[in-house]
Amino acid sequence: MRFVHTADWQLGMTRRFLGAGRVGQAVGEAQARFAQARLDAVAALGRVAGDEGAAFVVVCGDVFESNLVGPDVVGRACEALRSVPVPVLLLPGNHDPADASLVTRRADFVRRCPPHVTVLDTPGVHPVAPGVEVVAAPWATKRPLSDLVGDRLRALEPAPEGVVRVLAGHGAVDVLSPDERNPAVIGTAECRAALADGRVHYVALGDRHSTWQLHGEPRIAYSGAPEVTSHEETDPGNVLVVDVGPDGAASVRPVRVGRWAFTREHALADSDDDLAALDARLDALDAPERTALRLAVEGTLTLRQRARLDEITEAHAPVLAALEVDLSGVVTRPDDADVEALGLSGFAADAAQELAAAARDDADPAALDALALLHRLAVTR
Amino acid sequence: MRLLRIRLRDFRGVHDREVHLAESGVTVLEGENEVGKTSTVVALDLLIDFRDDSKAAPVRGAAPAGRDAGPEVEAEFVTGPYHVVYRKRWLRRRLTELHVTGPTTEQLAGREAHDRLLAILDETMDRDLWLALRVEQHTPLGQVDLGGHDALTRALDRAAGGETVGPAVDAAAEGLVERALAEVRRYHGGHGRPVGPLREAGDRVAAARTEADAAAAAVSEVERDVDLRAELDREATGLAEERRAQNARVRELEDRWSALQARQQEVTTSAERAEAARERAGRATERQDARAALVAAAATAEQRAARARETLEGLEAGDQARREDLAERRTEADRALAASDAATAAARTAAAELAAARDRAELADLRGRLRRAETAEEARREAAREAGGPCADAAAVERLEGLDRAVVQAEAELAAGAATVEVTGLGDRTAVAVDGTTREVADGESTTLPVADAVTIDVPGAVRMTVRPGLDGEAARRRVADARTAREQACAALGVADVAAARAASRAAGEAASRVRELAAVVERELGGRPLDDVRGAIATLAERIPAEAAEPAPTRRRGARRPAPDEPGLFEEAGLLDDASGDPEPEDLEPLRLEAVRTLDAADEAHRVARGAEEAWRRLDASVTTAGADVVAARTALAVARSEADRRTGELREARAEYPDDALAAAATDALARARRYEADHEQRAAALEADDPTTVEALYATAKRAVDSLTQRTADVERRRAEVTGRLQVAGGEGRHDRHAAARTELAAAEREHASVSRRAAAAVRLHDTLARRRDEVRRAYVAPFRREVERLARIVFGPSLALEVDPALRIVSRTLNGVTVPFDALSTGAKEQLGLCARLAVAALVDAEDGVPVLIDDALGHSDPGRLERLAAVFGAAAAGSSHQVVVLTCTPARYRGIGANRTVTLNPSYPPPQAVPAADEEPPDTDASDPTSTGSAEFRAG
Repeated sequence: MRFVHTADWQLGMTRRFLGAGRVGQAVGEAQARFAQARLDAVAALGRVAGDEGAAFVVVCGDVFESNLVGPDVVGRACEALRSVPVPVLLLPGNHDPADASLVTRRADFVRRCPPHVTVLDTPGVHPVAPGVEVVAAPWATKRPLSDLVGDRLRALEPAPEGVVRVLAGHGAVDVLSPDERNPAVIGTAECRAALADGRVHYVALGDRHSTWQLHGEPRIAYSGAPEVTSHEETDPGNVLVVDVGPDGAASVRPVRVGRWAFTREHALADSDDDLAALDARLDALDAPERTALRLAVEGTLTLRQRARLDEITEAHAPVLAALEVDLSGVVTRPDDADVEALGLSGFAADAAQELAAAARDDADPAALDALALLHRLAVTR
Repeated sequence: MRLLRIRLRDFRGVHDREVHLAESGVTVLEGENEVGKTSTVVALDLLIDFRDDSKAAPVRGAAPAGRDAGPEVEAEFVTGPYHVVYRKRWLRRRLTELHVTGPTTEQLAGREAHDRLLAILDETMDRDLWLALRVEQHTPLGQVDLGGHDALTRALDRAAGGETVGPAVDAAAEGLVERALAEVRRYHGGHGRPVGPLREAGDRVAAARTEADAAAAAVSEVERDVDLRAELDREATGLAEERRAQNARVRELEDRWSALQARQQEVTTSAERAEAARERAGRATERQDARAALVAAAATAEQRAARARETLEGLEAGDQARREDLAERRTEADRALAASDAATAAARTAAAELAAARDRAELADLRGRLRRAETAEEARREAAREAGGPCADAAAVERLEGLDRAVVQAEAELAAGAATVEVTGLGDRTAVAVDGTTREVADGESTTLPVADAVTIDVPGAVRMTVRPGLDGEAARRRVADARTAREQACAALGVADVAAARAASRAAGEAASRVRELAAVVERELGGRPLDDVRGAIATLAERIPAEAAEPAPTRRRGARRPAPDEPGLFEEAGLLDDASGDPEPEDLEPLRLEAVRTLDAADEAHRVARGAEEAWRRLDASVTTAGADVVAARTALAVARSEADRRTGELREARAEYPDDALAAAATDALARARRYEADHEQRAAALEADDPTTVEALYATAKRAVDSLTQRTADVERRRAEVTGRLQVAGGEGRHDRHAAARTELAAAEREHASVSRRAAAAVRLHDTLARRRDEVRRAYVAPFRREVERLARIVFGPSLALEVDPALRIVSRTLNGVTVPFDALSTGAKEQLGLCARLAVAALVDAEDGVPVLIDDALGHSDPGRLERLAAVFGAAAAGSSHQVVVLTCTPARYRGIGANRTVTLNPSYPPPQAVPAADEEPPDTDASDPTSTGSAEFRAG
């Protein structure tokens, strides 16, 4: 039996660094493209499911970013679900718990929801096909007071003969988040035990946005988000195609569906050559329109080099989906040539010297800015 | 720069004039108005600024009026190392020539010459300072803008000792400060108020924060509602549980309560039965009591009837005795009344007699009075008649006496005028009759007789002598005769013989008149003012009233009265009238009659009093008899009533006994009482049994349990309602996309904050740059303010005195002047003081600036506001400024007196320079010096050593 394991679609999510529209306006261009990319990822995993002949797709929580997403997000999500050719099971997670505001119980969702979509909003065993059962451990509130997965597993008897059971759960596992104060952490020991005695045959988890499998037990896995959501993620953009039999034999295969990249780059800038290299690196970026780059620059620059750096980053910013430059590692030390280049005389030269000295010796950012401004004013004279 | 020479040709009104200037020190150019002083200055500017092909307005304005010639200017000057002669002509036969004679010789023309000259000037001269040190005509000589002039600042910098940093001030640097300030102004308005992008960024952050807060509130509202909904769900479940338990409890209590209620009903019934028995026993006892009362009432009524009969009998006996006594009294009263009537009749008779007697007396009196009045009246009429005679007229008697006096007068006149006869006695007593009158004439005695008329003298016996008057006494005699006739006629009219008789008659008439008055008084007194007829009427009335028999005694008494004698002389009669009524009849004696009347009246009164007493005694008795009779009637009525009552009671008692005999009633009462006690005991027993089972507590428990169920129902409904509310809210909120809004708002806030930080940084950079630049500039300026101020003060003290002190700001503007401890801002100074300080400042600059850098100070007719005393001191300022310095000062003036004292190095008097007549060839341009006063000659300057 083959199915597709995915999670954490988080439809309706926005990212600040992708830019904002003004208050009351539509979101920025990159933001809109990113939102569309996340819907495209759903369509892509639907194609994967169809191509692979999967029996169903189970989404292990956080289908929506929040229960309070707008009707437009819900509507587009339903359209994307419609394109999936196999049954889809949606599990409420911590972002969209099955409380009174559950989005999949909302009228706008119910009206547009395709018939092959099932919402696993009640805990327990859901038969999805002959010989196939899904055990749902949905979140009923944002703050559960127990290990929901463990609770479900403890309530189970071993699966009947010939029946494949998949547990769909959501939350952090104890090996990744050893937080004793959090009662909802999923105990992997219980999962292993359940797998061992045949209560379930696969534990499909959501919440972690990077693809991850428990060491030594590939049947306990996080699929990760199908499209990247954060610079912190290590391996996002995948779905898991899982083959599992009633005997417990399983194979798990990640398939990439995401197309965006949230990347971090680190650059050393101490000379004009470094700056040129940085420029070349940025030029060489693949698919920059789908890349949100966090660039951390480090080094010591003269005033002119610093201006060059600013010029380089400003030139690349419009091409990238987002470019965040962290200049906290850059030290700007105006040298005498910087001051002389201003071509000043008289008290203006004195003032320039004073500002340069303050910027150099006291690392006074305001003095540096003032010097830069003086540069601009002197040049446009 | 130093000007050595300026030559104008065909420049405005100047035909041709060359002016040589002192190389250093003061040159004064003096001349009349319109002689072309200002043109000299204008010409210098044109020479430098305008190319020869320019047709700019100042160039065209320089063309000479009415002549077809191009204006030409030539100047020789030294600037920096260069010695230059520069010539230009515009409009006509244009040319530009430049001769540089040092340090190397250059010869240029046209455009090249112009550009080369500008290059030389830019290299060697501060042209801004050149313009700044100039004082134009008609412009106030005030503050001079000296900041940023190269030459000056170089000089000041040197004076300040700051050599090391090279060129200290750059005009471009000044521009940088301005640009930095403009940059600051982009972000900050007055008082650091954010404007432009900074304000917009701040507004954006504020708006974004507001929106983010609102969106976050909207989201947390939903979260609260979700929690609330879960809470309500739990509550609803708990309530349902509680209701089930409570309902079971209610049912159990209800059963117990129903059983107790049935018993409660039984107790109530037994209580009612006992109450009914008690009431019946009470009624039987009451009937028994009523019978006893009826027996007692019948006995009492019988006793009352007996007492009433006794009373009636006593009253009837007393009544009979009083009636007999009453008849006796009545008889006595009748007798006394009869006696009283008789006495009254006697008294009335006596009174009548007394009245009649009084009437008679009055009648007699009236008659006497009437008679006396009539007599007096008669006498009065008689006397009146006497008084009314002719001689009564006193005036007539007077007239008569007048006539008599006229006769005597006439006779006297006659005698006086008449002849006289003197008769003298010759013997012893001779009788002589004169006119019949005998008189005796003694011896020796003579008598003179007037002969008014014929006088007859008889000597008896002897002779009759008649002496007749002559004719001459006729008129007198006639007047005497006329007077006598008139007297006689008057006497006749009065009815008297002569005057004496008339006098007697007049006297008699007066006496009669007084008698008339006396008699009238008598009549008045007798009649008491009443007319006679009234008195007569009264008499008639009285006479009628007196009955004949009553008047009877009167005639007898009247017989004794004295009767008046009618023949007695009237005089006596009259006297009697005046005295009293002696002629009246004697009045009757009324006293016995009056006494009689009094006595009888007293007797009648006494008899009446006795009769009244008797009657009253009778009437009193009669009243008591009547009262006693009424008592008897009342006693009879009372008896009847008492009898009837006694009979009724007896009948009642009889009937009652016929119905229930007394002993039957007593037996019924005893029986009813016993039954009532029985029923009561039964009720008490039941009630005690019920109380023992505590129905009140059961009821309270039951009611409480029911209330608890109600309350639970209520709470359930409440929870359901709130749950529905929350659910509704959640449904609404779900469709609003609150998460999207919140996410967008947070994104916007982050962007706005980034933008604000960036703009703030740019604004801070602008502020920092401007502050730094401005501070540096001010430091530089402060360094050279001191020497400048020292120099200006040095010069200004000459004008204002040693106490002067000035404050100068870094822009080299004079801020204020302190004099004798009083500080006045520059703008508040008088025009004259501003002018003087302005001049001092310019001269100070000139003195400070290096000789090579220096420019001439040009003063075109200034100091019009300075008084003569100050002018004198200003002259000294020029001198002081020149001392130790080699700068050039050019003063243009039309009032040379102003600048007399300045010790000019050179004074040039400008005279008009007119073009020569047409005939004179224009080529003759450089004649030798001629008489300067010749107006037609080519203008030239006369030089005098200063």
